[in-house]
Amino acid sequence: MTRPNDSDSATPMVWLQDVTKHYGTVVALAEIDLEVRRSEFLTLLGPSGSGKTTILNLISGMVGPTAGRIWIDGQDITEMPPNKRGLGMVFQNYALMPHMTVFENIAFPLRVRKLESRVIRTKVAKVLELVRLPEVARRKPSELSGGQQQRIAIARCLVYNPAIILMDEPLGALDKKLREEMQLELKRLHASLDITALYVTHDQEEALTMSDRIVLLNNGRIEQMGTPDELYFHPRSPFSAEFLGDSNILGGTVEDSGPPVIVSTAVGQCRCTRDSGFAENGTPVKVMVRPENVFMLPPGNPDEHPNKFPARMVDTITFGGVIKSYLRLADGSSMVVQELTRAGQAIPEAGSEVYVAWSADDTILLPVEGRIETPSPPSR
Amino acid sequence: MADVSQRRVETLGGLPPGRATAWVAWFMFFFLIAPSLIIIPMSFGDLNELYFPPRSLSLFLYREYFFESVWMETTFQSFKVAILSTLAGMFLGATAAYGIVRATFRGKKMLGALLLSPLFVPNIVIALGLYIYFARMGLQGTTFCLVLGHTLFVTPFVMVVVMAALRGVDPNLEAAAKTMGAGRIYTFRRVTLPLLRPAMVTGGLFAFLMSFDELVISFFLSGFGTQTLPVKMYDSIVLEISPVLSAISVLLTLLAFFVCVIITIFYNPDRRTKLRLAGKAATDTEPLEK
Repeated sequence: MTRPNDSDSATPMVWLQDVTKHYGTVVALAEIDLEVRRSEFLTLLGPSGSGKTTILNLISGMVGPTAGRIWIDGQDITEMPPNKRGLGMVFQNYALMPHMTVFENIAFPLRVRKLESRVIRTKVAKVLELVRLPEVARRKPSELSGGQQQRIAIARCLVYNPAIILMDEPLGALDKKLREEMQLELKRLHASLDITALYVTHDQEEALTMSDRIVLLNNGRIEQMGTPDELYFHPRSPFSAEFLGDSNILGGTVEDSGPPVIVSTAVGQCRCTRDSGFAENGTPVKVMVRPENVFMLPPGNPDEHPNKFPARMVDTITFGGVIKSYLRLADGSSMVVQELTRAGQAIPEAGSEVYVAWSADDTILLPVEGRIETPSPPSR
Repeated sequence: MADVSQRRVETLGGLPPGRATAWVAWFMFFFLIAPSLIIIPMSFGDLNELYFPPRSLSLFLYREYFFESVWMETTFQSFKVAILSTLAGMFLGATAAYGIVRATFRGKKMLGALLLSPLFVPNIVIALGLYIYFARMGLQGTTFCLVLGHTLFVTPFVMVVVMAALRGVDPNLEAAAKTMGAGRIYTFRRVTLPLLRPAMVTGGLFAFLMSFDELVISFFLSGFGTQTLPVKMYDSIVLEISPVLSAISVLLTLLAFFVCVIITIFYNPDRRTKLRLAGKAATDTEPLEK
C-alpha cells in the first residue's frame, strides 16, 4: 500500500473516535479521542498501565475496541484485520524472524506483496543503505548487536513504505548511549522520509527529544496533549508536571487572584505572573517550579525576590554537567535546585542555611486534583 | 577437553564431580544397560535356543528373521501403523498445541488436561476401552482401528513437545508478520511452522518409536493378519520362546538408538549455536557495534 499523496492533508492520518477498551472489568482506555496528523511524530507517553500500548494494539488491529471507531486516513478500519491495514510496526524486542537471514527478514513484507525477486533485491539493498547496515544481509538476526537488530527491524518496516509506523518502546532494550544514537537516527529517518510515526515510550526524556507532539496518558485517559514545550512549560495537572521533568511542588491557597496571583503556602507567599485562568480567591492550589528555575542565595542576602524562602541544605549530587542540591524548607517540605556545573564552584555545605528563590514567571499554578481544562497559552 | 568441562562446571558455581561419584555413575549406567547388551551376543547364537553365552557364533537368527515371511509381514505392519499414527499424531498434536497455547477461551486449561489425559491413563485401560468400542463397531482387528488407537496414544506426546516449543516462540513474531500484511495461513506456514520444525521432528520421532514398540493396545486391537511386530514377539514368547527374538531385540534397540541420535542432533541448541558462531566468524568483516 503506498501513501496516498492526493488525499486531503487535513484528514488525520489516524483518528481514534471515542474509543473505549475494557479487559474484563479493567478499563484500559476510557473514551479516548485522539488524532494523529499526517507526517507528524507523535509520542504516547505514560507510566505502565496507562493504556499507551493498548492504543497501539487497537490501531494495529491486534485487539478490537469495546466501543468507538478507529479511522486511518479517512477510512473506518475498526473491523479490518491487521494484515489489511497496511501499517508498519517496530517492537521492543525487534520481533525479527530468527530462522531467516536479515535479507529474508526485510524481504518478508515484499514477498507477502508478491513482488518480483529482482525488485525485492533492489529494495532491500536500498533500505539497508538507508539504515547504514549494507554488509549484514546474509547474517542471521542473532549474529547482530541489539542496535543493529533494531535498525534491521526499522528497515523491515520502511521497505514497504507503510503510511504509518507504530513503534512500541523500540529503544527500551538498548543501553543509554546506543539509545541516544538511535533516537537521532529515528529523527533523521522520520524527517527525510515523511512518515507518520506513532511512538510509545515511558521515558519522558525520549519523548521530549523526539516528538512533534506528545500525548500524556494516565489511567486510560489523555492527561495532556501538546508539543514538548507545551507539556514541559505549561503542565496542566500535577501529574503532567511530575511526569515530565523534575518539579518542586508546594501546597497553598489563592490569596489574591492577581495579577500577579498570590498564593499563601506553609512557608510564605508565592507570586505567579502567569495567567492560570482558574485561580479564584480561596481556591486550594499547588505551586510548581522546575528545579532549573530555582536559584540559591547566600544567607543574609538582602535582595528582594517575588519568591524567596529560607532553606537548609541537605545534600548535593553532581550529575556530570549539572549539580542537584536537595534542600528542606522551613515547613519540612523538600526542594531540589539544579544548576549547571562550573569548575571551582562554591557549593554550600550540608546543614548550612541559604535562600532559595525563583521568578514569578517560572511559578506554575496547578489544581490540587484533575487538570486545567482551558487550553494552555501557546508556546513561545 | 577435560579442562573445558571443568571450567563449565565451575562457572555454574559447583565443584567438578569426584572420582567416587564417577564410578557410581558408571556402575549405574552399566547396570541399566546390561540387559540390552546381553542380548547382543545371544543374537549371534545358533540353533533354536536362547542361551548365554552362545556356544557358537552365526547369523542364523538374523537370517531366520529376515527370511521368515511372518516376521517380515508383522514388521511391515508395524512400520505402516507407526508411520500413519505418527503423521496423524503430528497433525493433531501440533494443531491442538497451537490452539491451547495461542488461543484464549473459557475452559482452555481443562481442555488441555483432557487432551493430555491419555498420558496418565494406564495403557491397559485405554486398550480395553478401545477393544470394546471397536468390537461393538465391528472394526476390531483392522489396521484402521490399530492406527486410530495408536494415534490416540502418541498424540499427547507430540502435543507436549510442540506446546513447549510454541511457548518459546515469541507471539510478537506472528503479530509482526500480520502487520506486514501476511494472512493467518501464510504466517503459520512461513513463521510459526519453521520455528516449530525441530520440535515437530522430535515429537514425530518419539511418536514413531512409541507406536512401533507399543504392545498392549496393539495386542487388544490387532487380529489375524494385522499383528504388529511386538504382538508377534509376545506371541512367540508365550507359545514357543523362539531365539529369533534376541535378533529382533537387537534390531529394535538399534532402531531406537538411531532415532535417539537423530533427536539429539535436532534438539541440541548448544551445537547449533556453535555452528552459528562459526558461520559468523567466517562472514564477519565489520566489527560488531558493541
